[in-house]
Amino acid sequence: MKKTYKLNLVVAGAGLLTLGLAGSAMAFHSGGVAECAGCHSMHTSKPGGKFLLVGTDQSSTCLSCHEHAGDTGPSGYHISTADADMASNAPLQRTPGGDFGWLKKTYNWTVRGTANTEPGERHGHNIVAVDKGYVADATNTLSPGGSFVAANLQCNSCHDPHGKFRRDSTGAIVTTGAPIIGNGSYATSVVPAAGQAVGAFRLLPGAGYTNSTGSNLFAGSPAAVAPSTYNQTEATNQVRVAYGAKSTNGSATWAQWCTSCHADMHTASGKLVHPVDQNLGSTISGLYNSYVKSGDLTGTSASAYLSLVPFAQGSSASDFASLKANASNTLPTSAGPASSDQVMCLSCHRAHASGFPDMLRWNNEYEFIVTNGAYLASGNTMGRTEADWIAAYYDRPATNFATYQRGLCNKCHAKD
Amino acid sequence: METRNGKKYSTIILLNLVALFCSMAPLLAAGTAQVQESFLYSLSNFSGRLPYNYPSLAVDAARSETFVVYQNEVTVFNDSGMEIFRFGDSMDLGHVLNVAAGPDNEILLLHYREGKSSVLRCDYRGEPFGEITLADLPEKYAGFAPNSIAYQDGRIYLASQNTMQIVIVEADGRFVKGFDLFELLGLDVNKKGDFEMAGFTLDKEGNMLFTVPVLFTANILAMDGTVKTFGKSGGAPGRFNIVSGMVEDSRGNYLVADKLKCAIIVFDKNFNFIKEFGYRGDKPDNLIVPQDLAIDQKDRIYVTQGRGRGISVFRLTYDDSSADGEALGKVSQNKGGMPTESGS
Repeated sequence: MKKTYKLNLVVAGAGLLTLGLAGSAMAFHSGGVAECAGCHSMHTSKPGGKFLLVGTDQSSTCLSCHEHAGDTGPSGYHISTADADMASNAPLQRTPGGDFGWLKKTYNWTVRGTANTEPGERHGHNIVAVDKGYVADATNTLSPGGSFVAANLQCNSCHDPHGKFRRDSTGAIVTTGAPIIGNGSYATSVVPAAGQAVGAFRLLPGAGYTNSTGSNLFAGSPAAVAPSTYNQTEATNQVRVAYGAKSTNGSATWAQWCTSCHADMHTASGKLVHPVDQNLGSTISGLYNSYVKSGDLTGTSASAYLSLVPFAQGSSASDFASLKANASNTLPTSAGPASSDQVMCLSCHRAHASGFPDMLRWNNEYEFIVTNGAYLASGNTMGRTEADWIAAYYDRPATNFATYQRGLCNKCHAKD
Repeated sequence: METRNGKKYSTIILLNLVALFCSMAPLLAAGTAQVQESFLYSLSNFSGRLPYNYPSLAVDAARSETFVVYQNEVTVFNDSGMEIFRFGDSMDLGHVLNVAAGPDNEILLLHYREGKSSVLRCDYRGEPFGEITLADLPEKYAGFAPNSIAYQDGRIYLASQNTMQIVIVEADGRFVKGFDLFELLGLDVNKKGDFEMAGFTLDKEGNMLFTVPVLFTANILAMDGTVKTFGKSGGAPGRFNIVSGMVEDSRGNYLVADKLKCAIIVFDKNFNFIKEFGYRGDKPDNLIVPQDLAIDQKDRIYVTQGRGRGISVFRLTYDDSSADGEALGKVSQNKGGMPTESGS
């Protein structure tokens, strides 16, 4: 009995010691390379696998944590909804980048007797994650406007899992020279002192990064700041990620970064010429600020921001202090753009996936978003339930829009 | 002064001994009873294995049935792992998220309707006959949105994995006790969203078992709020990559699923590492991203997996010849007093 008591004490001591260590642990990535054992195993990796990874592939490894069956709604750092939760439900996550679960939502409907299919794969970046049921894009075998092989698209094509890219105390993006002291993605992130650095936004890599394809893709790392809670319903308050347009000292604009794989998209010399990386100018910024909804141009710049049509702060306002000041998740709306702010790829597209073709932020396949005060839940439903529409608009009620609301190209162009 | 230094050195020596004990744990385990696992089958119907991806499940110990929730449908399997019944395929029951075996052959469904959670009481045919709404929740738990459920001795245990909260209620929904694991584990409340718990089961004494993947830990929470924690990160046998479900077997051993390692890691009741099994592969006894675990009175362990692998069932047996002399295959008495078949 005495022996048992003593053993219990020792076990309790060991437990407390372990607990003490655990309690002091930081979150997993902390802006840089995470604890190696979270992704690699020195002794029990997949037979024949690469990189001592213990997932089937890179993306499956990431989704081991970033997807979780049993979620009830937007949840922490989850960026994918599990199959188990999606039979009759729309994807649950509401991150600014979007829920990869939309890639599994294929819609079928009939228009004037003709069957239509909108394959799930049209809704986003088709990462390959075998364990989670994500497969390569069967239609676009190369990146549209570029030559990146779709079968190679993994999370680490766009994110540096080792998080070497860092923002130092001068604001420069570098890969060495100062240790990473924490996450640099958030409005609450620490400001690095001299000799310190914080992680690049979302571990997005810059110049010199070679992912599994061996390609050196990127001109620099793009600038942005998110609120520390970013995965939430936008039924009331919007999540505003403050995007920057900085392109010096190791940074690249968002368009420069995306065109690493989509070179011919939206460039002056390319095939699709809607401009990016250009100032909105006074006309477009004025329209954005006055646009409230179809037929209503009575808005003001103080309350014009719409997360369905974000913009990049001009390069003169892209320092991280300015970006931090604008990142928020507690306001129904906030200030719209200045004439020097810029249009970017993410003004219209989500980075991961959305409920609409071409990973657009709104439905651009039909002239109306809302008819008779409701999302397209009757008549031309485009194969979706009302819950699908609401989820795709991040839980905004249809009453946020005009009773006959048209596409959100009009946020900048006001043709409605 | 000398005495104070002496005490200081004693403390350091004691701490070192504790640390040494922790690092030696796998070696110390050599003297404990050996656990052997054998793959039995995957939960199936007459068309073969059901290709679930990460479903929720519960075991009805009294009737040796298994309940599985997948894509809003509840499927009941018999003692041999064959489907015998399913219900809930319409949305009549709302969004069914998880399941527990209740008293008197009840099936308790954790479900959501119009964004609000409650526990639906169903009979063995899946016919709902009552709803348990949480009542008298303290303000702290006002927004509580559970996604895990367990039942034991007249009480319902609910957990919200992403907010790391646990609420225990009486069978009529009245609040009994709540736990905020952020506080209990000493985590930085400013980093909510960076942590979540995984797995949620009860042991025979009503302690709550869960893991925290980003901390590489397995945890046992008692009703008085004390937490025992074990686990260390690493790829070596006995160390954790990304842990998930956790159960206790009839001998008091703890089994922890590791999603990245694709293995079930077994520890004895003193948290000494015993063995691992599974591992990634396509053989029947391999595992693909094991997530949740359940265990029945016959020490059959149910493992949910990804990539359409469904639920694999293993039987645990024990070779006690190296420990307390109890031979493999004998019927022993577990802590709860229930006879436990330990061999087949």
